[in-house]
Amino acid sequence: MLIVKPLLERRTYRELLFLAGGLPLAGLWLGLMLAGWISAGVLAVTPLLVPVLIGFRGLTWAGARLEASLASSLLGVEVQPPPLRAGAAGYWGRIRGILGEAAFWRQQTYLLLRMTLGFGTGLAAVVAPAVSLGLVATPITYRWTNTNFGSWHADTLPRAFALVPAGLVGLVLSAWLIRAFAALWARLAPPLLGGSGETERSAPDPSSVFRAALPYDAAFFAAVNLITLVVWALTRRAYFWPEWTLLPLGLVLGVHAWSVVVMERVRARRALLIHAGAWLLLELFLVAVWAVTTRAYVWPVWPLLAFAIVVAIHAVAEYRPWAGRAVLTERIGVLTATRAGAVDAAETELRRIERDLHDGAQARLVALGMSIGLAEQKLADDPEGARELLSEARLGAGEALRELRDLARGIHPPVLSDRGLEAALAALVARSPLPVGVSVDLETRPPASVETAAYFVAAEGLANAIKHAQATHVEIRIGRDAGVVTVVVADDGAGGADPAGGGLAGIRRRVEALDGTLAVESPAGGPTIVRAVMPCGS
Amino acid sequence: MRVVIAEDLVLLRDGLTRLLRDNGIDVVAAVEDGDALVHAVLLERPDLAIVDVRLPPTFQDEGLRAALEARRHVPETAILILSQYVEQTYARELLADGRGGTGYLLKDRVIDIPQFLDAVRRVAEGGTALDPEVVAQLFAGRRAADPLEQLTPREREVLALMAEGRSNAGIAEALVLTVGAVEKHTASILAKLGLAPSESDHRRVLAVLAYLQGRD
Repeated sequence: MLIVKPLLERRTYRELLFLAGGLPLAGLWLGLMLAGWISAGVLAVTPLLVPVLIGFRGLTWAGARLEASLASSLLGVEVQPPPLRAGAAGYWGRIRGILGEAAFWRQQTYLLLRMTLGFGTGLAAVVAPAVSLGLVATPITYRWTNTNFGSWHADTLPRAFALVPAGLVGLVLSAWLIRAFAALWARLAPPLLGGSGETERSAPDPSSVFRAALPYDAAFFAAVNLITLVVWALTRRAYFWPEWTLLPLGLVLGVHAWSVVVMERVRARRALLIHAGAWLLLELFLVAVWAVTTRAYVWPVWPLLAFAIVVAIHAVAEYRPWAGRAVLTERIGVLTATRAGAVDAAETELRRIERDLHDGAQARLVALGMSIGLAEQKLADDPEGARELLSEARLGAGEALRELRDLARGIHPPVLSDRGLEAALAALVARSPLPVGVSVDLETRPPASVETAAYFVAAEGLANAIKHAQATHVEIRIGRDAGVVTVVVADDGAGGADPAGGGLAGIRRRVEALDGTLAVESPAGGPTIVRAVMPCGS
Repeated sequence: MRVVIAEDLVLLRDGLTRLLRDNGIDVVAAVEDGDALVHAVLLERPDLAIVDVRLPPTFQDEGLRAALEARRHVPETAILILSQYVEQTYARELLADGRGGTGYLLKDRVIDIPQFLDAVRRVAEGGTALDPEVVAQLFAGRRAADPLEQLTPREREVLALMAEGRSNAGIAEALVLTVGAVEKHTASILAKLGLAPSESDHRRVLAVLAYLQGRD
């Protein structure tokens, strides 16, 4: 009975529906992928790439939604596609946002599988039971059809009946086949379609991605053209047709290389430069096409004019005549915000000091006074009790002193101004219960304000690692490079630090008041990396 | 005498408890926040609640508000507020209900144990104990062309001690005078300030404070 169980279960028929659905969907996904990538490829060097990519992304997402709902309702697996991500701002930001989104690539992989593997499994899942049913029905249909197996003809009723058991076995096997295929898809769908709970990794720096991709691009260019050239050389060599792979691929490679150069060398107005370079290369491409074709009428002059106008508009938008004022206004905005932040930071700090004094040294001194007072009372009739109280008082005085010293160090560690960051960090690390690696790479001492801020970034990062992160090791690195001081505090703890939390927000305001930036990376599960970058003049 | 203490710092809470117990005062509860204070007062009906102004969770005037709240429920509770610093405003809010059994002292005063115990007893018995710092603030805030100008230096000293909540006997002791001499001074002061003489120490203190705060 066990062996025919799949045949009798409704689940098998739902799974058959899922697999059969793969047949029409394969065509749909083929159309989507072809349309998406061809239009993206064709428009790759034009600004139209962005809307095309956005549309492609949206359609892929909708396809993934459809597939996910099919998989959940027919295969009974839990699949919830991640929500469509809001795109980043800016031309490159949007492209990067879409192409850097892991879910996009996973969903495409699924659609690609559905269109290839899915077509096969769908076909098999439909054909196998259909053939088996045909065999079972042979005793009825043998008169009209002509069922042959090689030289063996099912032309009489007994012969036709002989096929029925084969059909029944075929049906059972089909059911098992459907089960197996469905199990395969049930394993494929959740990781590819679902969000799978993973935090999307932040997109890597675009220039590094572009740089890393350049050798591949060049290799592709070389390989394709080598093949075409060899083929051309081995064949008639009448017409130099490899120019039609050389030119377009050269254009792509040129734009790519230009982007890498601009992104690595140029700090400002990258978008404009890439844009202008891309247009120029496209124009060269058109001129080359003109040169190798008719050469009758100089048609590239028209796109040249159009390109010039577009780039000019971009340039005007970039170098707005009113930009001087706008830049100043923006700067004033930033300064106002960071100054308010600095005042807030100072205020918070003062309140903390007041509380520390109130709860610490001040309270200790009152308690000390009480002990001494009580001892005074007891001096005459209970000298032993008085002595105890006095030794208590002495310990209390020591504690009060220690607290005052810690407080003073919290305001500004004296060794920092006397001996600089390295000594101050050494003292900080010596008091830490965790092993801490420190590397300070500064040739000269930065300005005092930067030095103090760097110290407190390190102190706060270390304090967080000790208090919250359950870290076993902390690494503090301070370096100076091209006019900025960078402080990195990394621990191997549990992560999940709140960048808006009291301590981190305080040092952020301190850093921002110096025109610096503070970044806190602390995914749940760790590790935590706090990175402050502050300009330091030279 | 039965006392409830509300103080968030363990060090001071334990210190105060020991200090009072060593001097034969019964500390029936020592709590660490305002809600617990109200609860303890309702439960224990103490003679006196000694309260730190700053208590969790707000660490502002939580203690003061909790003490006033407790006294609304159990009016006969005397309140002695202890604070790390004195604020005239707090003193005014504390005295606003015009009842006796109110004190407001700097925590520093605890160190002079006999004086502190004297203040504790005075407040528990319905008297007043104001910190000399508060009184000094009240004196400092006076306008020129003030009747206070007519007082002799000795009378000003007596007035300050009166404002702190001391009885004639207490003033006499502090200034090393006879009680009779102090009585003569107080009568003269009250006359110069235009205040009616009063049998009750407490009412006299309130009149003096009201005068010093400039709201007759």
